[in-house]
Amino acid sequence: MGNEELWAQSVLEMPKRRDILAIVLIVLPWTLLITVWHQSTIAPLLAVHKDDGGDSQRDLAAGLDSKEYCLSDRDIVEVVRTDRPVQKAELTRLANTLLHVPNLHWILVEDSQRRTPLITRLLRDTGLNYTHLNVETPRNYKLRGDMRDPRIPRGTMQRNLALRWLRETFNRNNSQPGIVYFADDDNTYSLELFEEMRSTRKVSVWPVAFVGGLRYESPKVNAAGKVYGWKTVFDPHRPFAIDMAGFAVNLRLILQRSQAYFKLRGVKGGYQESSLLRELVTLNDLEPKAANCTKILVWHTRTEKPVLVNEGKKGFTDPNVEI
Amino acid sequence: MLRRRNLLTTLLIALPWALLLTLWHQYPTTHYLSLLRNENVTSKALLNGTSALREEVFPSCTRQQQSIGATPKIIQNYVYSRPPPWSDTLPTIFVITPTYTRPVQKAELTRLANTFLHVQNLHWVVVEDSPRRTNLVSNLLEKAGLNFTHLNVETPKSLKLGLSWIPSHTPRGTLQRNLGLHWLRDSFSNTAPPEGVVYFADDDNTYSLELFEEMRYTRRVSVWPVAFVGGLRYESPKVSPAGKVVGWKTVFDPNRPFAIDMAGFAISIKLILEKPHASFKLEGVKGGYQETSLLKDLVTMDGLEPKAANCTKVLVWHTRTERPTLVNEGKRGFTDPRVEV
Repeated sequence: MGNEELWAQSVLEMPKRRDILAIVLIVLPWTLLITVWHQSTIAPLLAVHKDDGGDSQRDLAAGLDSKEYCLSDRDIVEVVRTDRPVQKAELTRLANTLLHVPNLHWILVEDSQRRTPLITRLLRDTGLNYTHLNVETPRNYKLRGDMRDPRIPRGTMQRNLALRWLRETFNRNNSQPGIVYFADDDNTYSLELFEEMRSTRKVSVWPVAFVGGLRYESPKVNAAGKVYGWKTVFDPHRPFAIDMAGFAVNLRLILQRSQAYFKLRGVKGGYQESSLLRELVTLNDLEPKAANCTKILVWHTRTEKPVLVNEGKKGFTDPNVEI
Repeated sequence: MLRRRNLLTTLLIALPWALLLTLWHQYPTTHYLSLLRNENVTSKALLNGTSALREEVFPSCTRQQQSIGATPKIIQNYVYSRPPPWSDTLPTIFVITPTYTRPVQKAELTRLANTFLHVQNLHWVVVEDSPRRTNLVSNLLEKAGLNFTHLNVETPKSLKLGLSWIPSHTPRGTLQRNLGLHWLRDSFSNTAPPEGVVYFADDDNTYSLELFEEMRYTRRVSVWPVAFVGGLRYESPKVSPAGKVVGWKTVFDPNRPFAIDMAGFAISIKLILEKPHASFKLEGVKGGYQETSLLKDLVTMDGLEPKAANCTKVLVWHTRTERPTLVNEGKRGFTDPRVEV
């Protein structure tokens, strides 16, 4: 044997390795594709429904036009972080507020793998019109334990899923009026706020308390009633220096600009709202509400994490009791 | 032949990957991944654009019209008339809420009012810890539409400081709650006591609507579990099979006469009027003994009425609201101080 034969041997082996590589490159994608196609055609035939309750529960008052209750004049997109002890409390008091708002449709999107029974039950018991969705923000296993990927701002995928649901549910051409508002479950909302946003033609804005390290942040409104800037300390030159709770969008606009979503990655802190709004509207088109942005109708409250130190390692309270 | 095989191989590789890339590009990652996991029906629905599927997953309005729900009718009546009309036969729930001025006060009272507006025959007694009744609270109460009484009494600074060395937080609200009790005793006579209960509701807790119906028919003192107190998921009275309270399921000092949180009990008006000297003790009260200082003068443990399915359900949560960061206000203030927050 000599160098020549070794070389010949290696040349013979190369095609084998290349063959294997080729086979893998072929089999892998086709398998994936077939699995996906399989799931998408078989699964819908199963009786697994997305939970879209509320409409069936609403009793029709005598004399009501039967079409009316399908007219959601309002869609509130609620993003829920699952597995927090205070979750049920937050949703309970939020529901207590939402129950006062006529023509409201609550879209609750869980950040979870599955829709949790706790939330399903809670939604059903309120009697509200609702849609219950879920999508899980991918976890970043490099960080300890349960941390979600910090590069994706919290709630983004869930809000985007809700936008997608709206676009799939409502026909772009149908004239059904509606407003979309993003409501986090720990904020506090006055009832007046919901009436203010109802008249939104494109995008309306108003002040929000306890954001940006201030008592409140607010749009700057000139004498002509136009928004021309932002009264904030933190980065007032953002295209839309406004909190998620500080604006509402007309449903028609959401449907028309069907590609407008919150950007998933590469979004600087505080720019989330801009990532959506810049695709929908310009500064000039914004409609100031709340008495030309002089009244506070929504507060960015945050709930403390409860101290559970006395549960100890094994747990003291009965885990079957839902809190 | 080799060339043809190469071509075929290249095609077989390129085609599926191109398809995958197109799919990937169109939909966010987890939609795709969850398709594989068979969980998210919505994503599947989105991938499949047929109208037949759309019918099934998003039922049309007309189809849902047919199903009629029974229970929600009652809810609907409450929903759009706030508060529910006063009834002469239903016992009244007097809710005593001590409150004090701080940034989140208006927010707390707002969402509390939003809850109370659902409860029939509720009378809200708001007692401010202040030298004068503030405009903020007065206006809020007037606008809310609830039956209310607005009181105030200022906790003297000496009292605030004197008690603050105790490991637990200063027992805030004592003077205010006592004033609420005093007002009740002034307003109603012992000879013809109204049907009703007294409940002490702090302005940062969370209350379910069910809780109020549980407490409404209290004969003497009723009790139930409270979430997020005592360093636990919830604290609860221990109830015997006979339906009597026999102890307290707490880690912190379970041997207190009444190891229960302020939000965990309600007292009948009759009892409050019968025992006119029963109040919360102001001084010398150990941390966690505030509730005991009142209840020991009203009832004994075996006189307690357990509610919430024999104390197995949690209907009230001792939530606490974070103090907001106002660091960007700076020394002179950035926002307009005339704008009420």
